[in-house]
Order: sequence, then C-alpha cells, then structure tokens
Amino acid sequence: MPIADLLVGGILLGGVYALMACGLNLIFGVMRVINFAHGDILAIAALSTVSIAVGFKLPFWVAVIAVPIGCAAFGALIHRLILRRIEGAPMIMSLLATYALSTILVNVALLIWGGGYSGLPGVLSGSVRLLGINVSLSRLVSFICAIGISLAVWWLLEFTRFGRAVRSVSRAPELASISGVAVERVRLLTFALGTAMAGLAGVLVAPAFAIDPQLGSRFIIKAFAVIIVGGMGSYPGAIVAALLLGVVEVVGSYFAGAVIGSALLFLLMLAVLLVRPRGLLGAGVAL
Amino acid sequence: MSKVSPLVIAAAAGFVALVLPFVGSDYAVSFSIQLLIFLVLAYSWNWIGGYAGYTHFGQVGFFGIGAYVGSILISRWEVPWYFAAIAAAFAGALTAVVLGGAMLRLKGPFFAIGMFGLARVLEAFALAFDSITGGGTGIYLKPVSDLRPLYYGVAAMAAIMLLLTWKLDNSRLGLKLLAIREDENAAESLGIRTTRLKIGTFVASSVAPAAMGTFYAVYLGFIDPPTAFAPNLELTTIAMVLLGGMGTVLGPLCGALVLSVVNEVLWANYPQIYLACVGVIILLAVLYMPRGIVNLCMKSGWLAIGRPLFRRLAAREEQTAS
Repeated sequence: MPIADLLVGGILLGGVYALMACGLNLIFGVMRVINFAHGDILAIAALSTVSIAVGFKLPFWVAVIAVPIGCAAFGALIHRLILRRIEGAPMIMSLLATYALSTILVNVALLIWGGGYSGLPGVLSGSVRLLGINVSLSRLVSFICAIGISLAVWWLLEFTRFGRAVRSVSRAPELASISGVAVERVRLLTFALGTAMAGLAGVLVAPAFAIDPQLGSRFIIKAFAVIIVGGMGSYPGAIVAALLLGVVEVVGSYFAGAVIGSALLFLLMLAVLLVRPRGLLGAGVAL
Repeated sequence: MSKVSPLVIAAAAGFVALVLPFVGSDYAVSFSIQLLIFLVLAYSWNWIGGYAGYTHFGQVGFFGIGAYVGSILISRWEVPWYFAAIAAAFAGALTAVVLGGAMLRLKGPFFAIGMFGLARVLEAFALAFDSITGGGTGIYLKPVSDLRPLYYGVAAMAAIMLLLTWKLDNSRLGLKLLAIREDENAAESLGIRTTRLKIGTFVASSVAPAAMGTFYAVYLGFIDPPTAFAPNLELTTIAMVLLGGMGTVLGPLCGALVLSVVNEVLWANYPQIYLACVGVIILLAVLYMPRGIVNLCMKSGWLAIGRPLFRRLAAREEQTAS
C-alpha cells in the first residue's frame, strides 16, 4: 500500500474523529465536564442507524436527520437530570457521573442489540477514484459531512450571537451571567449540540465501520487523544489533531498491526500531556 | 442506639473472618475472597481518590500488571503464589514510581484521562505481546484445590489496608493529603510538598492492587487481557468507595460489603443488567449521597463524628462556582 493511500485513509478516518472530538471539546469548554459517555452515544446512534435502515427499511437520510435530533433530546435530558444537579461540585463527581452513564449506556445497548457486530451493507457502498486513488464512497461521504458540520459549528461559535454567548460562558460564567447571558440555557443547548454531534458522527460511522455496542469505548479514547493533542477547549486544534491522529493511526496500523496502531495514539496523547499539556494549538483553558 | 464501641465490632469481625473458612461452605469462602479482593482495591483507591482527591481511572492497570507478573512467574517457573504476589506488588510499585513523576504533573481531568488511557494501552500491550502474555488466549494456571490459604492471604491484606487507612486518617499525613484534595495550590503555599506526597500516595495505592491481581489470577486459575484490565473492576471499586464515603476509614468497608451483596444477588439473578445496575448505583450515589453511607451514619449519630463531616467534598451548598 503506497504512502498516498495511507495518508488519504488516515485523513478520511480523522474526519469522523474531528466531529466527535469537537462535540466533546465544546461540552468541556462550556461545562468543564469530561463526558465519558460521549463515545457510547456515538455507538448507540450508529446502532440505531442500522436499526432504522435495516430493521425498519427506511432510507438512510431518515437516520441522518432523526438520530442527531434524538441524541440532542437525550443530551438535554441528561443535562436536566444529572449534570445540572452536580454543577459546582468537585470535578470528581461529574467524572464519576459520566463514567457511570457510559457503563449504563453500553449495557443497555448490549441488551437491545446484543454483542455481535452489525453494519450497513448496500448503503453508500462501492468506491470512487480520486486523484488516482480508490476511496471507499462511504468513508468519503462521512468525511465530507463530518468536516462540513464541524466547520459549520465553528462558524456558529465564531460569528453568531449564540456563539458569542457560548464563548462567554466558557471563559467567565459569572461575567456572562451579569451581562445578561442565560448561562443555564446556554449550557443546556451546548450539551444538546455536543451530543447531537456525537450522534451524527455515529450515523456517519455506521456505513463505514463494523459496529457493536463496545464501539463507544474504542472511540472515546481516541477522541480524548484528539482533544488533548489539539488542546482542551481549542476548536481548530481538535480538527487539526483529529486529522493528524487519523493519519498516525492508519500508518501505525499498517506498519505495526492494529493493536499497536491504536496504542500509538494513546502514547502520543500521553507524550503531549506530559510535554505540552496545553496541546498543540492550546487555548489555555483555565480549569 | 448510641455509639457502638469500635473495638467490640472489630474483634467480632476479626473472629468471624478467622473462623469462616472452617464453618462456612466453599461458596462462602469463594464469595469472601472476591469481597476481600474488592475491599483491598477499594482501600487502595480511597488513598489516591478519596484522600488526595485524584480521580484515578487506571487502578485496573496495576491490577492487570500484577495479574500478569504473578501468572507468568507461576506458570513459567512454578513460583509459589505468595512469592508471586509479592513480586507482583514490587512490579506494581516499580511501575508506579516510573509513571508517578510524569502522570502526577497532570491535574484533575487530565490525570483521569491519562490514567484511563494508560490502562487501555497496557491492555493493548498484553494483547499484542503474545509471546510473553499468551495474547488473547491468556494464561492458564493450575487450579488451586484449597482456597483457604488464599483466603487468609487476602484477609490479611485487607486487615493491613484497613489499619493503615485508620493510621493515615489520624495522622498529619492524612491531613496533608486532604489539603491537597481541597486546594492543591493553597496546600503548596502552606509548605506541603505536594508533588512528593502525591507520588508517594500513588505508589502506595498501586502496591496492593498489583498483589490482588496475582491473587485474582490464582483464584480464577486463568487470566487474559479483558479479565486482567476489566473496566468493570475499576467501576465496581470506585462505586464501593463512593457509596461508602470517599476519604473515610470505614467508607470502603461499608461500600464493599453493601455492593458485594447487591452484586452477588444481581449477578446470580440478572447477569445481563448487572453492570448497568452498578452504573445506576454510582449515579444515584453521586446525585443524592455524594458523601456516602458513613456520613449518613455520622449524621444520625451511629458513628462518632469524624473529619469527613467538616469537609467540603461534594458539598454543593457552601461552595462557590469553581
């Protein structure tokens, strides 16, 4: 396999990581909550997509619209029932809460879908030739959608009134509150948005990967690696790091096997944590 | 009911623990071994998680290292299991010394993520280096015919951990760790050598889990990466400490007793939903009882009021937004 193929494969993989990590980063930036359940929301979204497309025989685009909306509603519910109540408590509480939530989601998914692998045969199958390289259509489409939505959310954050409110809550919640920003509502919306992004990432993963309920735990560590390498709370950092880590993983897996390939990501993450905890494009989020 | 003399309870519990293998059934011994293993894990986690306040999602990594070091020693060189456990404990401590200086520069969520990732890296290595670890097939050990020596070994460890925690709780060292938990910068400005203390606590809290790894491998007669690095071990341990009361002497004990019984009932009757239920228990504890059972007992006067009641951990009402 030539280097060009590996690079393209890595960048395409990175697209999905970008979408997922951006959601995680957004939630961390605004709420200072590390959402361990983020990956499991992705897994459940992917499994729901399979159920919608294969089980109910509805077209794929129904899932593209319905699943992220469902995830957003679920995110709002989690915020209301759990995260809102432990705001201001020490960080260990929210870590434990989302860790517990992640376990609950995995096991509920196992009950509903069973432990086996499933996929979406026939949706976006085949490949296209791009710059002389054969690229799987499903991965290309998921990459374009993932990067498109990530950039759209970035635009939302940078250039809209809502985005300004989000950024102000993230920098200084008290000042935002004094200036008339409805902090609670911004947090609720941000969490719902972040969850919806995980949901969309799940939908996009479904045609391209073999999925099972444990998928979330494999993806969440990669998303952690992405936001740490990119810098916690840094939005462009997450996108750049996602593409970089996608390439590292694909190249590493090719030369040293899949297990070492993904272990490489964590080693890179640990190295960045120790050498430059702010991340490559660190925004210097105060904890 | 007023305060019970702690000595009477301790003596009674010690007596029960001593005679149990002779009067109890094999099932009782087997169940107690599991309970005691979790008890030791919970006490270890309590040091770093409860006292020093560092959310440690990587303890299972040391457990796995211990399980593999012990199993390899036993299966390759036929070392007796107690020597293997001691060697595993050393291996755990050594790993912690090497990692400690690096990992404990990380604070709060970074430490949690770092350790969480590290446990997964170790699991990946255990899978990948199959010439040493047997890869996905794992290592099979000769099944032990008599569980009683194992029982006494684990029980002794649990008693030591309880005693050490009691010592810690009544020492300056314990107060220093609590100071780190409450406000690390303030602690440092008061002249507490936070880095040294944190590394010490980290190393201390990784010795017993590594030894427990070997015990667990001997007890099961088998070890493979998903068993040695099982995230549910981590989750159950943390749930026990949280439920009982973080940073207390009796918390892990209460939590381990309650949760072990609950687990056994769930595991026997509804194995599919067992883990989800542990998750729900943690969630409910976080939301409604973040200070644990021990604190409830103190408030209702069953236990002498100790330091925990004055701590601000999880006290939402008096805390300013962080």
